[in-house]
Amino acid sequence: MKNFRYLVLGALAATALPFLGLVVGAQAQLGPLGRAPAEEGGPLMPPLEPGQAVQGREVYLSLGCVSCHTQQVRPAGQGRDIAGGLGARPSVARDYVLQPVVLLGDRRRGPDLANYGARIKDDDGVHRAILHRVEGRDQFAFLYSGAKHEVPSDRAIALAAYLRSLRQDYPSPEAPLK
Amino acid sequence: MTQEQRSGRPDEDRARVSRVDAPLRGPFLLLFGSAVLWLTLGSALSLVAAFKLLPAGFGSCEWTSFGRLEAAARNAFFYGWAGNALFALNLWLLSQLGRFEIRNGWMAAIGGLFWNLALIWSTVSVIISGPGAYALLDFPAGAGPVLAVAFALAGLWPVVAYAKRPTGHSFAGQWFVVAAAVSFLLAFVLAQVTVVWAPAAGVAQAVAHSWYVRTATLLWLGGSALGLGYYFVSKVLARPLHAYYLASVAFWTYFLFAGWTAPASLIGSPVPLWVQSAGVVGSMMMLVPVLLVGLNLLGALSQEGGWSRAWNSTALRFISVGVVAILFSLVLAAWAADRSVNAALRFTSFAEGQGVLLLYAGVSMTIFGAAYAALPRVSGSRWPSAAAIHTHFWASFLGAVGSAVSAFAQIGGASQTMAFVGLVSTGLLLAGHLAFAANTFATLLKGSPAPESHPAQD
Repeated sequence: MKNFRYLVLGALAATALPFLGLVVGAQAQLGPLGRAPAEEGGPLMPPLEPGQAVQGREVYLSLGCVSCHTQQVRPAGQGRDIAGGLGARPSVARDYVLQPVVLLGDRRRGPDLANYGARIKDDDGVHRAILHRVEGRDQFAFLYSGAKHEVPSDRAIALAAYLRSLRQDYPSPEAPLK
Repeated sequence: MTQEQRSGRPDEDRARVSRVDAPLRGPFLLLFGSAVLWLTLGSALSLVAAFKLLPAGFGSCEWTSFGRLEAAARNAFFYGWAGNALFALNLWLLSQLGRFEIRNGWMAAIGGLFWNLALIWSTVSVIISGPGAYALLDFPAGAGPVLAVAFALAGLWPVVAYAKRPTGHSFAGQWFVVAAAVSFLLAFVLAQVTVVWAPAAGVAQAVAHSWYVRTATLLWLGGSALGLGYYFVSKVLARPLHAYYLASVAFWTYFLFAGWTAPASLIGSPVPLWVQSAGVVGSMMMLVPVLLVGLNLLGALSQEGGWSRAWNSTALRFISVGVVAILFSLVLAAWAADRSVNAALRFTSFAEGQGVLLLYAGVSMTIFGAAYAALPRVSGSRWPSAAAIHTHFWASFLGAVGSAVSAFAQIGGASQTMAFVGLVSTGLLLAGHLAFAANTFATLLKGSPAPESHPAQD
């Protein structure tokens, strides 16, 4: 390897090739993807996000929730996500087309949230979950006021709206509901 | 450390060494000093984050929420410690090997300054207003360009030193270091564009992010560490590497395959199947360079009492642990890329354990070893405390192994005992890093010239 140019160009090519193959390739395939109905004449899915949920995503991001929570359901052959009740169908790329930042996550210290909005019954439950009470201590009490942390701040309300908006329980052309 | 003196190459006469080292002094000490400060800060943040995972952990405070601490600690370790330290050591190594006398060292110093300022800004921003979505790219959008320019000023000197070397001769260690530097700059700029400035469509962001993380980790950090490994194994043992004719194959396969391993961290995710499969294949292919690097380095260490000589040299004791850990973590990564294995390991603490092996036991230990050899030569003063070196070795070694064990033991589910083991191990890492920091700053402040260019005293 006496030739300096060989070495530098070779290293640049070795770095760029996977980028071209994987990232540009994925972008070419997924770039045109938009909302679509599961069957002709059906509603366009995924649904538009409520404005409060868009604000709530910023709260989710700023608190680093993604370091412990994923938002993806793997297909039936790959792990026990569906058998474990995380969702009725696997997540598909189309589910994320409206999201400016995709929060797939890669660590489940806490539960997966891809279908949190479909699981949860009421706002009180969401706020209890956001507080993360462990042995009597509320880890996220700073989002609330009141003696028992029962009064949510604007940020907590937005975060709750975001969490309630998380659902992939509609049929998708790539992943029909059985 | 008489052994290393004996093993010094005959062609490396004192006058030469100091003429190469003298102009390095300013930028090297600035970069390495700041690296050590980041290392201690990062370890302290990791310790607080480990506390947060215990039920009795700190109460409710937004600035110390786990996600923020984890992100700040990761950036401090990756860019602050490993980044700065590799700027200094890669420049030092390539100056040595290429007989390069740096003329515009102030440019490296300015680069280092801006790198650190951008990192301080990022750390404060992560703690106060929160991290972004993507690990290792979670700093304010404005900090990205500053970091890229700072890297170009501080991190590309090995390339200059390689281009200007007077002889046509080259050595495997140089290839790794030069390629690591140019790969990182390209990867960082492309990642900034496709993840931060003009984000790719939907989940293609996740593909771009995984590619950046693997490239930065395996090519820049891992590649640089292997380059240092190639140099020190051959230098301290004072003999050619085993099957050295395969080194160029090891180098090219390592750099060609590493980036393709990226989507192995997305198996089962809603990204195209062919992307996932490329990651599986890439991870398996990485076993080729792992085998060849192992043949070169571990082969040399296994001949004629190489391991015991490595144990008796401060530099090579750290570096041989580092090389073994890097190779082992890549074998684990290939195993975990198997779809059925991955189904059980994905989203668990497995990736943390593998990352600890790669970064704390692998890259970090290699950097420590190289620093034990380089710092006395550049600063002109010896390491003041042998006890601190021993404390540092054992605390970092046991801390890294303990952290990895704690992570692997919790794959099946969180356990209080193992979380506590993880906490103690993180504490050990901090203790070792404090011993190293104390020793480093004592060396820097002493400033008395050493009679011989000892790599370290033991």
